[in-house]
Amino acid sequence: MKEVLKGNFATRKKVVAPEAGEDLNTRFEREALKRLGGSIAFVSKKKFLFGLDQAKDEAKEG
Amino acid sequence: MKLEAGGDLGRRIASSLGAITLEKVTEAGFANARANAPRIAAGKSIASLVGAPVGQDDSALVIAAGPSIHRFPDTARLIKESGFCGAIVATESAMAWALRHGIVPHLVVTLDPHATRIVRWFGDPTLDDDALRRDDYFARQDMDPRFREDQLRFNRELTTLVDEHGPRMKIAISSSAPELVARRAAESGMDAYWWNPMYDDYDAPESLTRKIHAMNNLPCVNAGGNVGAACWVFAHAVLGKKRVGIVGMDLGYYADTPYSQTQYYKEILTLVGPNGLDDVFIRLVNPHLGREFYTDPAYLWYRDAFVEMAQQAECATYNCTGGGILFGPGIYWSALKDFLAGKA
Repeated sequence: MKEVLKGNFATRKKVVAPEAGEDLNTRFEREALKRLGGSIAFVSKKKFLFGLDQAKDEAKEG
Repeated sequence: MKLEAGGDLGRRIASSLGAITLEKVTEAGFANARANAPRIAAGKSIASLVGAPVGQDDSALVIAAGPSIHRFPDTARLIKESGFCGAIVATESAMAWALRHGIVPHLVVTLDPHATRIVRWFGDPTLDDDALRRDDYFARQDMDPRFREDQLRFNRELTTLVDEHGPRMKIAISSSAPELVARRAAESGMDAYWWNPMYDDYDAPESLTRKIHAMNNLPCVNAGGNVGAACWVFAHAVLGKKRVGIVGMDLGYYADTPYSQTQYYKEILTLVGPNGLDDVFIRLVNPHLGREFYTDPAYLWYRDAFVEMAQQAECATYNCTGGGILFGPGIYWSALKDFLAGKA
């Protein structure tokens, strides 16, 4: 594709193509995601508790 | 009436918040768990709460700190006069509201790893003017208006109130809680029960959840992204309650709330500027009320997570908040009075 679109002239300054997906919304989203997270994780489609039985056994022994 | 409007960018952000929240909380959560290790080793696990007599029947009322508990001034009176004898489970952020209205929760839940903010809900004995200048969160937040007024004086009053009632309350404290919160809970005489938040799929290779469980042997709880959801999980999955009512869980804002009083306002403003706000805040009509509320990406993510969990839970869930966006399959919409009377 790059070859097809190549012009028949040379630019004075080096042209740097933006990274894929670097549009304004993507940049906003990436930055926003760093600041807008929740208080703690949520694990989708899993049980409410993990490791309770083992802890209960230890509580009884303790 | 269009049920959802605006907030296209907000919706896209919400759909990514599972991954980004994990990235945000893992390092702090694990660091806090290591700092809390001596208290955890010497303390109790939430395993001791399973089957424990917390409240007298098979019901529980979760009290969260959403704006509706302030919009409906009868909430506290209804709870106190109802003779409700189930368990009262409160977020740490709703504890101040409950105590100053004469309601002492059986169980308080805390989980957020933020280093300095969360202790404010307990009364922070170290709070001073410098701290207020460094962080104006409590001057802006919408969860409890009393925290916005004369902050140093209110903080002193709250510290005294929590010290007075601490010995009558249990606290389910996450290993991810900051050391300041762990110390404050202990110094106020609260009866602490420790747990781990679930970080990721415990069946996955290299699971962080398994890693933290191996560190301290505590049970791991799928906390639903926030402390209000965690209270609800504790009510049914740990305390075994079959009827769980909820107040103060708006997960959104009343239409007359200025954007500047929302939870993430400063962060959103910095990122999109004043002209981009309508693309981040999402407007929804609550079909039970025929009224519009708006929300932000984090609250929308919490809502979607809660609706998913509500459909798996072995309890009946009654949202008695009276406002907000927490509605959907698995959640009954109910008047608080009816739930408290066992009619819902």
